[in-house]
Amino acid sequence: MLFRPPKPVGMTLNLAPMVDVMMCLIIFFLLASKLVDAQHRPLNLPYAQAALEVGRGELGRRVVINVRPSDDDPLRAEYIVEAWDGQNITERILQPDEIQDYLQARADRVPAADDGLRCVIRADQNVAYGHVEVVLRGCGLAKIAKVVFSARAGQEPEEET
Amino acid sequence: MRRGLPAPAGERIPNLAPMVDVIMVILVFFLLGASLELATEGVLQTELDPRSGPGEGTPIEIIPAVKIALEEVAGGQACNIYVVGKLLPGNTFEHLYGFLEQRRLAGADTANPVIVAAQPGVRWRFVIKTMDVAVRAGFTNVQFAVSLGGGTRLNW
Repeated sequence: MLFRPPKPVGMTLNLAPMVDVMMCLIIFFLLASKLVDAQHRPLNLPYAQAALEVGRGELGRRVVINVRPSDDDPLRAEYIVEAWDGQNITERILQPDEIQDYLQARADRVPAADDGLRCVIRADQNVAYGHVEVVLRGCGLAKIAKVVFSARAGQEPEEET
Repeated sequence: MRRGLPAPAGERIPNLAPMVDVIMVILVFFLLGASLELATEGVLQTELDPRSGPGEGTPIEIIPAVKIALEEVAGGQACNIYVVGKLLPGNTFEHLYGFLEQRRLAGADTANPVIVAAQPGVRWRFVIKTMDVAVRAGFTNVQFAVSLGGGTRLNW
C-alpha cells in the first residue's frame, strides 16, 4: 500500500464566539448609554453647598424625574422620564396629571421586602416651585418617602465674588 | 507552463479579522464613554413625613418645628423669607443661616423638622437654597409643605 503524508492544513482561529460576545457587549453599552442620557439630561441644576456627591449606584432603586422649563412657554414645565418602548430606552414627557399614576406604578413594582423606592427630582433651577410641588405631591400620594434633589455641589458663581 | 488547478471545493470560512477590529474599536469607544458617564452628581436628600399620603388621619403636631415660608417677589425672580410667620430681619439666606444656627446653638433639637413652604411661582433655586441653608446649619430633617391643589398657603 502506498501511504502519502497528509497535506499541511492552514489553521484558522474561529472568531465567531468572540464576535458574538462582543456584539452583546456593544448592544449592552448602546442601551446603557441611552439610559444614562435619559437619567442625566443636561439641566441647569441649582447650587447647594451641602450637596453630597454620590454615584447613581449608591441611590439604590430609584425613579428619576427631570423637570425643565418648556421650550414653548417658560412658565410651563416638562416632566421627562425614561421609558422602554420594547426596543429602545426613550424619553417620555409626562403631563402633570400623569405624575402620580406614574410614581404609583413604579412604587407598586418594588417588592415589599425591598428598601423602598427613591425618587430623584432633577429640576432646573429656574423652574417654578409649583411644578416641582406636583412631583412632591405625587411622591406623598404614592407613599414614596425617600426623595432626593439633584444639585450642583458648591457655591453659586455670583456668591464667590 | 503549468497552470494552477482550481481550488478544491471545501468549507470556506470568511475572514472575520477586519470585523473584529471594527467591533473592538466600537467597544473601546463605549467603554470609555461609559466610564465618563460615571461622574457623580450632587444631591440633597430628605424623607417625606410618613404621615403624608392617603389613608392617614390629620396629623397632630406635637414637635416644635421651624417653619420657613418663601413668598414670590418680582415674578419669582426674588423672594421674601418668613420664619415662623414673621418676615426674617435682613431677608437674605445668610440671615436665615444665622437664625437657624443661633437656634441650634440655643439647644434646638436638629432632628426636629424644618418645614419649607413656598408659593408656586418661587424659583426652585430659592427652595433648594433654603434647604441647603437648613442642612448647613445642622438640621437634618427638612420637610416640604405641599398643597393638595390650589397652591401652597402661607398663612403661618
